[in-house]
Amino acid sequence: MSGEALVFWVFAGLTLGSAFVVVLSRTLIYSAFALLVTFFGVAGLYVLLGADFLAATQLLVYVGGILVLLLFGVMLTHRIYDLDLRSETTQLGSGLIVAAGLFVVLTAVALKTEWPGLARMPAPTTAAIGRLFLREYLLPFEAASVLLLVALMGAAMIVRRRRSA
Amino acid sequence: MIGLQHYLVLSAGLFALGVLGLLTRRNAVNVLMSIELILNSANVNLVAFSRYASGNLGGQVFAVFVIVVAAAEVAVALAIVLTLYRLRRTPNLDDASILKG
Amino acid sequence: MYELTRSLAAFRPELALLIGLLLVVVADTFAGWGRQLMTRLLTIVSLAAAFGFALELSAAGTRGPLFSGMLVIDPLGAALKLILVAAGLVTVLAFSFRNSRELHGLGHGELFTLVLALVFSCLLLAGASDIVMLYLALEMVSITSYVMVGYLKGDRLSNEASLKYVLFGAASTGSMLYGLSLLYGLTGTTSLRGIQEYLAGGIPDANRFAVYALTLLVLAGFGFKIAAVPFHFWCPDVYQGAPTPVTALLSVLPKAAGLAIALRFFYGAFSVPERGPWDLAGSIDWTALLMLVSVLTMTLGNVAALTQTNMKRLLAYSSIAHAGFLLMGIVALSENGARGLLVYLAAYLVMNVGAFLVVTLVHLHEGSFDLRDYPGLHRRAPLLTLAMSFFLLSLVGIPPFVGFLAKLYVFSAVIEQGQGAYATIAAVNAAVAAYYYFKVLKVMIIDPGNEAKPALELARVDQLRLAALALANVVPLFFWDWIEGWARGALVLYAGR
Repeated sequence: MSGEALVFWVFAGLTLGSAFVVVLSRTLIYSAFALLVTFFGVAGLYVLLGADFLAATQLLVYVGGILVLLLFGVMLTHRIYDLDLRSETTQLGSGLIVAAGLFVVLTAVALKTEWPGLARMPAPTTAAIGRLFLREYLLPFEAASVLLLVALMGAAMIVRRRRSA
Repeated sequence: MIGLQHYLVLSAGLFALGVLGLLTRRNAVNVLMSIELILNSANVNLVAFSRYASGNLGGQVFAVFVIVVAAAEVAVALAIVLTLYRLRRTPNLDDASILKG
Repeated sequence: MYELTRSLAAFRPELALLIGLLLVVVADTFAGWGRQLMTRLLTIVSLAAAFGFALELSAAGTRGPLFSGMLVIDPLGAALKLILVAAGLVTVLAFSFRNSRELHGLGHGELFTLVLALVFSCLLLAGASDIVMLYLALEMVSITSYVMVGYLKGDRLSNEASLKYVLFGAASTGSMLYGLSLLYGLTGTTSLRGIQEYLAGGIPDANRFAVYALTLLVLAGFGFKIAAVPFHFWCPDVYQGAPTPVTALLSVLPKAAGLAIALRFFYGAFSVPERGPWDLAGSIDWTALLMLVSVLTMTLGNVAALTQTNMKRLLAYSSIAHAGFLLMGIVALSENGARGLLVYLAAYLVMNVGAFLVVTLVHLHEGSFDLRDYPGLHRRAPLLTLAMSFFLLSLVGIPPFVGFLAKLYVFSAVIEQGQGAYATIAAVNAAVAAYYYFKVLKVMIIDPGNEAKPALELARVDQLRLAALALANVVPLFFWDWIEGWARGALVLYAGR
């Protein structure tokens, strides 16, 4: 098969395989590291799709930020002396049915629909995305800063131990 | 030949797995991870459409915003989980049973 | 560049809030001990300024896209924004750190920042006309709410409520995002106008299934914000766990914003241009679906409220039920429906905030949210009981209160569309709801008990607040012509042309 196909299958396998581990593993720390692999897999897929800026952002923010935060969360919410990092699963049967059903429906949507075929040949996107941020998508770009302020302030406030009058 | 459908089925799988985790996991951090799977699956959709279906970068721009939102959400959610743990010594959801439907 | 300045001119309410927000953050960081007063004052001034600008916008009747199509301004949107800002202003004026026992000792600046951020985000959501803006604004509203609900960080109930809220919310909006991604894929654009053009052009049969699926997914996000069935599960717990002033705010603002964007999404994107904004594209029967959701929502809310003894949970379920009634305005798919929605939202604001204020004051003086501690209040707090009776009767929908007029509008809009069975079910629901509102009233007025306890000494400012809100529930009746004229003028929905 072609190089592109090979790379796709490798990354797809990595992504889905690790996603399985995230969802089904009994050990929380395994789930966390599997999530790391998932994020990497997705970043690889982005590169394959010609989204270079996005792949870099995915690595920086998702792996470097969100995952690290999740790891902190895992570590800080367990008794350190007793590394019982197990995570329980309930009602696997009915959950599987729902998830399988959803997968079938969404795959049907994916395969049955006639998607428009306007392809975009891979090209460096960073400058183009930057231009979009400052023109068409200016408002969300600026509004996102309010979101980040609120999240920053909110998270810090919630976690802060001592309250000063 | 890898086409749009490949990516869409992949993301459908990710979405389904995320939902599975959402429904079955008891640990709050694990549920958060499942939600991240869901968000990533939507992002894969967006980028794939950008490449194969729409011919413009709107999908990629959207995906960047999704990442921003995800970061903010995780920060707040983890702050709350941490506080829950401090108050109740467990990050498990079922034990948070004071509030009943 | 010229477009930017033009957009900013129409963006003044939001700008006022934004500047207020930043000033509050700065004031909270640097000011000395005038801090509490200053942050409160800044918040009120900022909200009042935003209200003034929104009024101006509403009167000017501008319509058109803003910020390259990210937002849209039209008279209906301006009217909705007016209600949203009013909701923020009324709540901030009605509650304070002094009259809410739950908020005692907690940080002022952060909460006011959050309130301003919430109103700002709701305004963005109500005007969004691009799915990127929609998603971002929706998440801004949500994340701000999550933080506000968890404000009582030492309190287990509050903490669990906010966790439930986060997880449920993130899941719902995540699903919505997946649906939006499919919409982008189908239409090749993120703008609602572009989406509308695609859908109006006729959906090939092969794509119909995709449109169904993605709409259901998107409804997950809207349903969650509006607390409609089956996305309402978070509501009672969150309303109970959050500090009551926050609950009052959340019962109106995100709900109204969610309804506004649902209205705009369905009628902006799914409408057929030649037939005007009130006719929907395709043979997909959205009306039936919305009707079903509406009926389930009001029924579930009412039935669950019947057995509640915790006032906050009771009002939470009442809120869910009212969301069902509010949806009637959308189901009616007409100008009268939109008018009904506007009037109902405005009425709902004063009824709900009033009820929550009473609950807060009782908690302040009695320390309880339980209905079983309410008997004998007519003796011990006559003004409070009188005000509460106004609010309760308004919630039931009895004349001469605004609640009655609100119901009248939505009912007539629905009946006008020939949906008689639906209206009947709604009427039955209203009757069922009356039961629990009257129950509360009965407990306060007729039930004996607690009379040996001393009278409730309400602060003068609290008395004023109660009086003002109670009057707000009755006085509008005398200005009905004027309100009618305003609502009629606000019905233009800029469908993207």
